[in-house]
Amino acid sequence: MGKVVGIDLGTTNSLVAYVANGGPVVIRDSSGDALVPSTVSVDAAGTVFVGREAQRRLLTDPSRTVYSVKRFMGRGVDDVQGDAHLLPFRVGGEAGGVVRIGVGDKEFTPPEISAFVLRELKRRAEEHFREQGEFDFEVDRAVITVPAYFNDAQRTATRDAGRLAGLEVLRIINEPTAASLAYGLDQKNRGTIAVYDLGGGTFDISILKVEDGVFQVLSTNGDTHLGGDDIDRLLTELVLTELGTAGHGLPPETVQAIRKAAIQAKIDLSSTDEATLAVDRSPGLPDGFTRVVTLQEFETLIRPLVDRTLVPVRQALDDAGLEPGEVDEVVLVGGSTRVPLVRRMVAELFGRPPHSDVNPDEVVAVGAAVQADILISGRREMLLLDVTPLSLGIETMGGVTSKIILRNSTIPASGREMFTTGVDGQTAVDVHVLQGERELATDCRSLARFRLRGIPPMPAGLPRIEVRFQIDANGILSVSAKELRTDIEQAIDVKPSYGLTDAEVERMLIDSFEHAEADFEARLLIEARNEAETIVHATEKSLRRPDFAQLAGREVSPAEVASIEQAVAALKAAIAGTDREGIHAATHALNDATRHLAEVMMNNSVREALAGKSVEDV
Amino acid sequence: MSAQPLTVRSITPPECRSCNSSVPVDEHFCPNCSRIQSLGRHGDYFLFLGLPRKLVIDSQELDRRFRDLSRKFHPDFYYNASPAERLASLERSSYLNDAYRALKQPVSRIEHLLTIEGLPLGKSDEGAAKVPPGLLEDVFALNEELDEIRDLRESGADAATLAARLATARQPIEAKRDEHERALAEASEQWDRQADAPADARRATLESLRQLLLERNYITNLLATIEREAAAHG
Repeated sequence: MGKVVGIDLGTTNSLVAYVANGGPVVIRDSSGDALVPSTVSVDAAGTVFVGREAQRRLLTDPSRTVYSVKRFMGRGVDDVQGDAHLLPFRVGGEAGGVVRIGVGDKEFTPPEISAFVLRELKRRAEEHFREQGEFDFEVDRAVITVPAYFNDAQRTATRDAGRLAGLEVLRIINEPTAASLAYGLDQKNRGTIAVYDLGGGTFDISILKVEDGVFQVLSTNGDTHLGGDDIDRLLTELVLTELGTAGHGLPPETVQAIRKAAIQAKIDLSSTDEATLAVDRSPGLPDGFTRVVTLQEFETLIRPLVDRTLVPVRQALDDAGLEPGEVDEVVLVGGSTRVPLVRRMVAELFGRPPHSDVNPDEVVAVGAAVQADILISGRREMLLLDVTPLSLGIETMGGVTSKIILRNSTIPASGREMFTTGVDGQTAVDVHVLQGERELATDCRSLARFRLRGIPPMPAGLPRIEVRFQIDANGILSVSAKELRTDIEQAIDVKPSYGLTDAEVERMLIDSFEHAEADFEARLLIEARNEAETIVHATEKSLRRPDFAQLAGREVSPAEVASIEQAVAALKAAIAGTDREGIHAATHALNDATRHLAEVMMNNSVREALAGKSVEDV
Repeated sequence: MSAQPLTVRSITPPECRSCNSSVPVDEHFCPNCSRIQSLGRHGDYFLFLGLPRKLVIDSQELDRRFRDLSRKFHPDFYYNASPAERLASLERSSYLNDAYRALKQPVSRIEHLLTIEGLPLGKSDEGAAKVPPGLLEDVFALNEELDEIRDLRESGADAATLAARLATARQPIEAKRDEHERALAEASEQWDRQADAPADARRATLESLRQLLLERNYITNLLATIEREAAAHG
């Protein structure tokens, strides 16, 4: 068995952690950075870049670079039209179906893009375990977090992404609950906790009761379309508006440059009273753009967004039967809770200062790692009892929703409903499963449609078909049915409304195995290019040295210089291509061509260093 | 159309799927091999939680039993178990969550008692369909009052006048609700004292609990009607 990790798959950043010897460890890169930007870029040759590298490509190749894909998980094309605004990549797909993201001539579903991020995290973790000298370093299982307010389709999409990345998804857990688990690690406390989680693209509030190591969620609420992204967009739009006509039709790389400057200004305003939003000269923006943003101006701009988070907070308190003052602790999670206005408004509502002693970026991944450890170790000191955020129901006569499992029910939860036939001899019944609080089916989220088949032919109204709905500990639904008069188990064909069928996931999985070799090749190619670029750079630097001209006359022949220049040109041509072996060969050729030059240079430096010194000094 | 008889299935005592020994229905784990048992046909939340069939419950005791059983049943702890045990864990956890939710609130607790005592309340529309005799007068008075308020609203009366009229209309209904809460509490305590009482005395208490609940549901609907009218005033 391989390693097990906890993963926070965020809108903006993702990270991975694990538990060793009872303590959580967050995996960092060599520079100590744990956050992997959830950005994926695919170049024209089909090479996939993830993280910082992909983020850099947002400014150079924006139309092939995808970010904030979490916003599209488990959603249909019709849901996301408003979101596609300002995004550099294509968002499309068939009406009524899953969103497709266009990158160059390729199309990806959101779970496929997320799988690239997960694969990068898996690779990082495996590298970490290998460096630790672990013999068994393969990472094959994970607990992945999702916003508490994610619906069934969004959870299923996340689980699909895990499968596509070659991970067995042990459990999907909610981000605020994961945070409370991590938070509860060192504080053996009991009482009522409110977790306010404002991330890059989603907002969650969960109210928990902690007692005897049982973390019982009383209520949860949120908005899966509200986060730091929206703050960035408001600032970006402010700049575009001030640019007037010039702001329209700017090329995507310039919009991205403005967005990057807006994000920097936002971050600066967490610690200063005013920030300069500065955009370098860019295509369509010949003079660049500079503007001072005061904290007051910023807060006026974003106050409506922060106000929007307080509506779910009040609803969650109401559902838990609590007044704001009855909450013992308020914990802030998510990078966007660094915004001072957010902290102030949360403190005002609860009448107490929120906790900010835990790193809001890392606490969710730590909680996921703790949950993963509980699952594989069977330790029972801590137990998480979460709830389903939305009511589950079915469409009944007249398009009305009939609720079967109410929101804030502790999961796992089950419910049942009796169906019968309307026509004599009818052998099938169609069922439409919904999630949401609204009365009308059209106002709820359509989860799936299925057909109960194989009902024994009987007069209308006589069959008694019991349909059982089971929400598991992941918050994911499964359905089974039985005709009670005959005790015959019914066959069910479920067609997810906004998800991938199992067959589609299988096919993608096979594709990804076929591509696994190609992905490995791509990585080797990147490494070969990097090595080649380093040697090209070093050689060109030597040739440009001020003392090179005199050396060239004395010890390096013009023919030699010509052959070096030829080898550099050949290697540059090879780098531009995709033939890894060719790059290696050209790299070796350049190495050979420069061997004599390198010796000369070395001897020259030694001579210079020794000049004027007697043998005794050496 | 003639009704066909229900297929009768024989009710055999449940058997442990792991060791085939017979297991009493109220045992969560096999007394022989200690494996978790599939749920079977359980219907009594009190029995499931190990509580007497009483209506006055120590809330903290209920919470503690819920936490203890969660620790025994939760799927987290059956990750490496056999598929049958995993399914049993899922079923038992789901059922435990239902049981806890139902017994946590006094009203749903009474509803569950009535169900297992053979006097189920039925679908919620039963309460709404016909006016309970004890409420007839209040309902007529309220409907007249609401009609007048609607007329006033349509003739453009100011918000303060409407709010005052609504508050007056709400008062007797709220008083009725409080009265019912007290009556329900009394009947509940009476039930708890009747553990050893004759069957017909117990039956009478259940009947009055049922009647009180039906009326309570009706009162709740009336209050909701008043709220809707208030919302219409904006």
